[in-house]
Amino acid sequence: MINKESEIWTEKYRPETFEEIIGQDEIVKRVKNLTDSLNIPHLLFAGPAGTGKSSLALITVKQLFGEKWHENYLELNASDERGIDVIRQKVKDFARTKAIHSVPFKVIFLDEADALTREAQQALRRTMENYTNTCRFILSCNYSSKIIDPIQSRCAIFRFKLLEKKDMDKIIKRIGEGEKLNILEDAYESLYEASEGDCRRVINLIQATASISVNITKELVNTIVSNAKPKDIKVVLEYALSGDFIAAKDKLLDIMLKESISGQDVIKAIQKEIWNLQIEPEIKVRLTEKTGEIEFRLVEGSDEFIQLESLLASFVLAGQGKI
Amino acid sequence: MTTLCEKYRGKCFLDVKGQDLAVDRIKAFIKIFPSKKAILLHGPTGTGKTSLAYVLAQETNSEILELNASDLRNREQLEKVLKPATQESTLFGKGRIILVDEVDGISAADKGGLPELLSLIEKTKFPIIITANDIWQQKFNLLRQKSELVPLKALNYKTILLILKEIAEKEKIQVNEEILTSISIKSRGDVRAALNDLQAVFQINKPEEIGERDKEDDVFNVLKQIFKNLVNHETLRLYDTVNMPLDEILLWLEENIPYEYHGEELAKAYEVLSKADVFRGRIHRQQHWRFLVYQNILLSAGVSSAKEKPKIGFTLYKKPSRILKIWMSNQRQQKKKSIAVKYAEYCHISVKRAMREFPVIKYIIQKPEIQKQLKLEEDEIEFLSK
Repeated sequence: MINKESEIWTEKYRPETFEEIIGQDEIVKRVKNLTDSLNIPHLLFAGPAGTGKSSLALITVKQLFGEKWHENYLELNASDERGIDVIRQKVKDFARTKAIHSVPFKVIFLDEADALTREAQQALRRTMENYTNTCRFILSCNYSSKIIDPIQSRCAIFRFKLLEKKDMDKIIKRIGEGEKLNILEDAYESLYEASEGDCRRVINLIQATASISVNITKELVNTIVSNAKPKDIKVVLEYALSGDFIAAKDKLLDIMLKESISGQDVIKAIQKEIWNLQIEPEIKVRLTEKTGEIEFRLVEGSDEFIQLESLLASFVLAGQGKI
Repeated sequence: MTTLCEKYRGKCFLDVKGQDLAVDRIKAFIKIFPSKKAILLHGPTGTGKTSLAYVLAQETNSEILELNASDLRNREQLEKVLKPATQESTLFGKGRIILVDEVDGISAADKGGLPELLSLIEKTKFPIIITANDIWQQKFNLLRQKSELVPLKALNYKTILLILKEIAEKEKIQVNEEILTSISIKSRGDVRAALNDLQAVFQINKPEEIGERDKEDDVFNVLKQIFKNLVNHETLRLYDTVNMPLDEILLWLEENIPYEYHGEELAKAYEVLSKADVFRGRIHRQQHWRFLVYQNILLSAGVSSAKEKPKIGFTLYKKPSRILKIWMSNQRQQKKKSIAVKYAEYCHISVKRAMREFPVIKYIIQKPEIQKQLKLEEDEIEFLSK
C-alpha cells in the first residue's frame, strides 16, 4: 500500500484508490459511482480538516484521467490566493484549452473555498458557469454555510465526518507496520486525542515522534504535542491580572509574532482560558462579555493589537476586582 | 526645482521596478486593445500606477491626456474634455493614451462622472488607463467589469533600497546605507514617500535628522498636554499642531499610555483607543473620511479625560516600537514562510495551514532526504537546524 517514494508520510500513505480511503464509506461509494460514469457534476466537499477531502479529489481525478491526470488537473488554494483576480486568471488560462483526453473536461480543485470573500464567490460562480463545458470544479470547505447559496445549488454536496477512533486506530496501525514502529497501546489513545479526528495531524504526529525514537510511547507523544502547542496565552492573562500590563502586552506581542497567530485566534484562546483562571465566576462572566465585544471590534477595526491591548487593560481591572 | 519623484519617474518599462507582473499585463493589454478598452491599475499609493501610464505613453510614442482628482470630473466636464479625446485622432496620427488618475477620488460633487466614464469606455478609440487605490467599493462594480484589473503591490523594502541607492549615485550624494535602509523601511512600500524623504536628506545634508527630531519634540509636547492636563479648550486642536498623521499619533499614545495611566485610567484610555480604531477601520474600508472627526476627538479629549486629576512630574515618552518589532519578526519569519510554501505545495495544503502546523512539521523535515524532496535551499536548511 506504500504508494510513493515520498519520505513525508502524509504523502506516502495518502490513499491512491477509492478502496484505500478509511472512513466516509457512503461518500466514497457515491463519488466512485459518479466517477465510473466518466461524468461528474461540480462537487462540494464540506467537512473538517484531515478527513480525506483532498485525497478523494485526487483519486477522482486520477481515476478519470489515468496517467494523464497531471495535465488535466489544477489545484488552487483559496486561503493562499484569496484574490479572485488570481483565481480567475489561472482558471481562465487553464480552462481555455480543451482536455487532452476522452473525458471532455478538466478538473479544478479549489481547496478551502470558504476562505473566499462573498464578492469573490460571486465571481467564482460566474466563472463556474462560463467554463462549465470545459471544466468541472471540486470545491472543498470546512463549513458549507460559508459558501453562498448559488454555488451550493450548482454542486453535489458531500459532508465529511471527523474520523472515529476505530478508523484512526486503523491508520495508526497501518503506519506503525509500514514503518516498523513499536507503537504502544496507550500511545494510540493519546495520538487519537491529540489528532482531534484529523488524519493528517495524526500522521504528522507519528512521524514527528518517530524522528526521536521507534518506540512510540504515550509520554513521547505528549512531549511532542506540548512542545508544538502555541505558547500559553495563560501567562499573558496572569501578568495582566497581577497588574503588570506592560509585561502582559509585551508577552502577547511576542507570542503573536513568534507563532504567527492572528488576533482572532488569540481572542478565541482567551475566551477559553478565562474559565481556567483563579477568579470569581461573576468576574469571568464580565470578562467573557468584554472579550465578545472586543472580538466584534476586531472585525470592524483596523489594528488587532490595539483591540487586544484594550482587552488586557480590562483584565488588569479584573485583577483589582474593579470590573 | 523639480522633485526627485518627477525627475526620476520611469521613462521605459525597464525603469519600472518591482512591478514585473503589472508591466507584463499592461503590455498585453495594449496588444489586445481594442478588445479590452480600459485597464484599471489599483494598489497602494506610491507603487507606480501613474508612472506606469506615463511609461506606456513613452514606449508607444503616444501623447497622454491626464485627468486627475484636481480636475472637476462631472458629466459635463468629462463630455467636454474627455469625449473629444476618446474620439478624435491626434495631430500627426500619433497614438494617445487617456489617463484617468485616482478614480476613487471621484466625489459626490462630480455628478454623473462615473456613468459618463463608463459610456466613454464603450466608445473610445484610444486605450484608457484608470488608477485607483481601492476599487472594491460598490460604486465601482461596473467599472471593474468593464476594465482589465491589474493589481500593483506595495514594494518590498529591498526594491526601494535599490531605487534609492541608484538615485543617490546619480545625484552624486553620499548617504550612508543605514539611512537609506531606514528610509526604505519607513516608506512601507511607498516609493514616493521614500523619494521625498531622500530629498529631505539631500537638502539638509545632515542625514540622520530628516526633520524627525523636530517632529519628536512636537509629539512629546502634545503627549505631555494630553496626559498631564485635564481636557481644556485646546485639547481638541492639539493634534493639528504636530505634523504627523493621526494614525501615527495613535501608535504614540498606545506606546505611552501604560507609563502614565494605571488601573481604571488605563482601562478607560485603551477603551477609547479601541473605539477610535473601530472608526479608523471604517474609514479605511469605506473611505468615509468624515469619521476622522470622531477618531480625533476620541484620541485627544477621550484619552485625556481618562483621568480625574491633572498629573504632575516628568515622564520620558517612548517612541512607538511595535511596528519595528513586527517588521523584524517578519524578516525572521520569511525563511519559515518559504519553507512552508514548499511543504504546502508538496502536501496539498494551504501555506497558512503549513505555518500553523509548523511546530510539528519542523520535527519531520529535519531528515536530509525530505529536505531534498522539498528542494529546500541551503539557508532554509540552516534555519531548520537552529
